[in-house]
Amino acid sequence: MSDGLAQRYRLAHGKAWWQGDSIGLRLARHSLALVALAVLLAPLADLAIHTRDPWGELGRMAAGLAWPAWGALESPFSALGLTVAVALWGTLAGVVLGFPLALLFARSRLVRAGCAFVRAIHELFWALLFLQVFGLSALTALAALAIPYAGIFAKVYAEILEQAPRAPRDALPPGSGRLARFVYAELPLAWTQLAAYTRYRFECGLRASVLLGFVGLPTLGFHLETAFREGRYPEAGALLWLFYLLIASLPWWGHRRLIPLLLAGGAWLLGPWPSVNGGLLWRFVSEDVWPAPLLAGDWTGLVTWLSRMPELGPAIGNTLLLGLLGTVGALLVALALWPLACRHFGNRGTRLAGHGLLVLLRSTPELMLAFIFLLLLGPSLLPAWLALALHNGALIAFLVARHADVITPGMPGLPASGRLAYELLPRIYPGLLALLYYRAEVILRETAILGMLGIATLGFYIEEGFDYLMFDVAVFLLLVTATLNIAVDALTRRFRPREAPIDDPCVR
Amino acid sequence: MEGEQRRPLARFDAEDIGHDGRVVLQGLTLALHEGERVALLGQSGAGKSTLLGELRRRLGDRAAWCPQHHGLVPQLAVYHNVYMARLPEHSALANLWNLVRPLRRPWCEVGELCAELGLDGLLRRPVGRLSGGQRQRVAIARALYQSRELFLGDEPVAGVDPHQALRLLALIDSCHTTSVVALHQRELALSHFDRVWGLRDGRLAIDAPTSELTLADLDTLYPDAASPGVGSRPRDADMVLPGPEALPCGRGRP
Repeated sequence: MSDGLAQRYRLAHGKAWWQGDSIGLRLARHSLALVALAVLLAPLADLAIHTRDPWGELGRMAAGLAWPAWGALESPFSALGLTVAVALWGTLAGVVLGFPLALLFARSRLVRAGCAFVRAIHELFWALLFLQVFGLSALTALAALAIPYAGIFAKVYAEILEQAPRAPRDALPPGSGRLARFVYAELPLAWTQLAAYTRYRFECGLRASVLLGFVGLPTLGFHLETAFREGRYPEAGALLWLFYLLIASLPWWGHRRLIPLLLAGGAWLLGPWPSVNGGLLWRFVSEDVWPAPLLAGDWTGLVTWLSRMPELGPAIGNTLLLGLLGTVGALLVALALWPLACRHFGNRGTRLAGHGLLVLLRSTPELMLAFIFLLLLGPSLLPAWLALALHNGALIAFLVARHADVITPGMPGLPASGRLAYELLPRIYPGLLALLYYRAEVILRETAILGMLGIATLGFYIEEGFDYLMFDVAVFLLLVTATLNIAVDALTRRFRPREAPIDDPCVR
Repeated sequence: MEGEQRRPLARFDAEDIGHDGRVVLQGLTLALHEGERVALLGQSGAGKSTLLGELRRRLGDRAAWCPQHHGLVPQLAVYHNVYMARLPEHSALANLWNLVRPLRRPWCEVGELCAELGLDGLLRRPVGRLSGGQRQRVAIARALYQSRELFLGDEPVAGVDPHQALRLLALIDSCHTTSVVALHQRELALSHFDRVWGLRDGRLAIDAPTSELTLADLDTLYPDAASPGVGSRPRDADMVLPGPEALPCGRGRP
């Protein structure tokens, strides 16, 4: 009897072990398919190293970071102040615009579509657009942050409000007004989460504000880019440390009670305001951004206009390919790094180091990382890929490690490998994959922007369009980018695993 | 006898009741008369909440409502949670201002009510920082503050010790002429109510005055409790596992 059973198990052993529809197997197949797709398509990407001595350059950069030249900095505090002021006022404007939209979000298709559109275009592209109208001014910087953030706030606030428990609302006596219902039984329940998300978005705003330096606004990024480009690595190192200190000390200087003070001080730093020329603005909106043949009603002319478009196919292909590679890279980086910062592994020292590494990678904006890798490796997709994988992987690893920290293993005394493979990974993997899918949309948005560094994605041609004052081309390509983002967002939403996702709005 | 002559407050004639297109209670025939105190019994998932929800819908403004799991806002103070019972009676502006600074009259009224319920001195404390029993009393205070003639409660005395349960039910009785209360304590149902509605398998199995009922009659409402595990096939093992509330050692029983 038991012999027959053993025989049966012997026969079944090793047969089609990958089949079956348990969550683990399904997600494993899912991830492997994603990795296989990336491996299959990777040869299409230009991953060559174009510089002669990348290691030597890396050494010089590391030396710059290790021995920063604090004395060489010119007016770092005004750059720092402007960075904070732009982030603060940009986020605030985003909240003011986004909050009312969040209340309409569930009811109006128009609002949802509009928010999806403004969200799909990166802050830097908005900055490039407003640069043409408002020049290098605080207004450009604020609008570049406020408009996409309004779309993001509308969506995330609406989701948070919707997920608030319904029981208190249902318990209200009939006839309670809409406003009373909102302020008594909806807002208080969602408040903590709304505040946490706003705080996270402000941190994103700080990074974006730094990046605005790349298009010429005098924030921290402007000085960073100049120093890096001119090879003054000790100075660049000092600026980078300044940035990390700014992010790390956020809990102290960004305290709730200090915000009004910072807002007042920031308003003073933002000036002077540009005088907006209404006529020019109108010309830009009504003529410059439209293809001339379209305005003339010349349809054959429109076709030739389209055919003169820079290489649209390869640009879209590169954007999507880099998005895929970046996503898969982030998955691998996250899988490799999360145990470093998790309380179940290593000792105090390794955890502290792992934590530091993750915070460092997570706080450095992708564009910054890509820019540094670009100086090291030359203009191919490789630096962009590394930057996307490291930044996003570290961000996911950080959240996953925090979630793993609260798990208590059921079997004490397992070796580390057993703890990882049997106790923790099965529990957190669905969440990890869900975070990755949330993040895929952000990765694609970043991919487009990396073109501004000279990598042949859509952003490269968008910046070129603005540079050569071909606003119609630039705006058309922006629309293409936005459409691509919206399509990928819809796609990832379909494939996102729904099993126990780590529900953290702070990845979007 | 007397009840039959009075005008019913709500009446069901062989009606199907459910939500989202799913029928929970089939062919329900039932009448609620003024002055009755009804205990609503049945296993978890038998349809007690569905029936109470339907009663609440039909009775509208006449019924005070104490929902299951309280439905309180943990971030708001006890005072504000209780005040919510009278949101419709104040203007939107007054309701907003009340969040910033409590209005004088409601503050005094809620204070008196809370003192009666043993919540003295807790008016400003957020509900999230109260114990389970205190929250239960806040939920009851909110229902009482609605000051209606009828009381509908979905397990308002679940998880409260028996003496306190009696005290709370007495308080509810003193403020309302009619009440329908879902509960799990069968002894309490017999000792404290005029009538029992018992739900089982989506039907009204018992509708009788408590004077005609015994504990054994009520036990028939809890089939799983009688012989746990017996006759359960392994395939639907998790279906027949009795919920904690259906177990014979009901919470809060003497």
